[in-house]
Amino acid sequence: MSGEYNPSPEGNPSFLARRNRFQTALVRFIGKRTPKCREVVRILSQSMDSKLSLTMRIKLRLHYLICAWCQRYQKQLHELRKIASSVPDQVDEFSQDTLSSTAKERMKEALRENRRE
Amino acid sequence: MTAGGDIPHRPRLDGQPLGVCGGWASRQRKKNVSHEQTDVKYLRPKFRGKSSERSWLCVILKNKICDYFRKLGRETCFTDLEFLEDELSHKFVSQGFWNHETGPLEWKPEAEVVMHRAEFWETFRDCLAKLPQRVADVFMLREMEEMETPRICEALNISPNNLWVMLHRARMALRECLEMNWFKEPQQEGHL
Repeated sequence: MSGEYNPSPEGNPSFLARRNRFQTALVRFIGKRTPKCREVVRILSQSMDSKLSLTMRIKLRLHYLICAWCQRYQKQLHELRKIASSVPDQVDEFSQDTLSSTAKERMKEALRENRRE
Repeated sequence: MTAGGDIPHRPRLDGQPLGVCGGWASRQRKKNVSHEQTDVKYLRPKFRGKSSERSWLCVILKNKICDYFRKLGRETCFTDLEFLEDELSHKFVSQGFWNHETGPLEWKPEAEVVMHRAEFWETFRDCLAKLPQRVADVFMLREMEEMETPRICEALNISPNNLWVMLHRARMALRECLEMNWFKEPQQEGHL
């Protein structure tokens, strides 16, 4: 493999690694036909905001077979979303920086007045 | 709406501006309290009781956020696109694959397990604070407010392409920061 980077060195936790001749051929085949990891992480971020084409989704699936890292990245983007969307509930609990009691009172008073009108 | 009865969501009202947009709200909240009062007063007669009062107030606040950013977008120049410009290129080998020494680690214990811990949220907030303001705003609007991307583009007056770049880099930076400051540290596991 003259000068070609080996995307699957020893200890690769991916489903497909170069463990035998058959796997090596598959890894090289998939490595050539799917986007490189640097591109994959960009595509993965896009996939969080819009639906990818079927072809791209298949390509990503194939890529995961040879790249456990991109698969982890994808999973973690979803975890990040879950984390971020849970923040507001937690902020109230943990934040010391809350509305001052006078501000709260003013808002309540305004609502009360409004009801009377 | 029953006249005279207590507004059922009132206890949540105070917390709501915080929830609407975490960091942004904490900076703007005080400034906005008086505006909210005015708006609530002003808009009250228009409220027909078709939705709950809470969601109605949320809509007002969300629109306020949009207005705020729209104004900001016209006022500031756009240097935040420079943030994380190299997109962690040192983590990839020149052929574009992950460097296997520095590729993403498995998060253990998983985020769901640690999400009830105050220390975790501190770490998350610290990481969020490291992002440039605009990048953090974009991320929060998308992931915390679950605002659709076209709406963010409109509110912040930025192109869809710039938005994607900023979101990608924000996610990349946050993922990295959480991994370095939380998931990588082995002592965390024993604390559950």
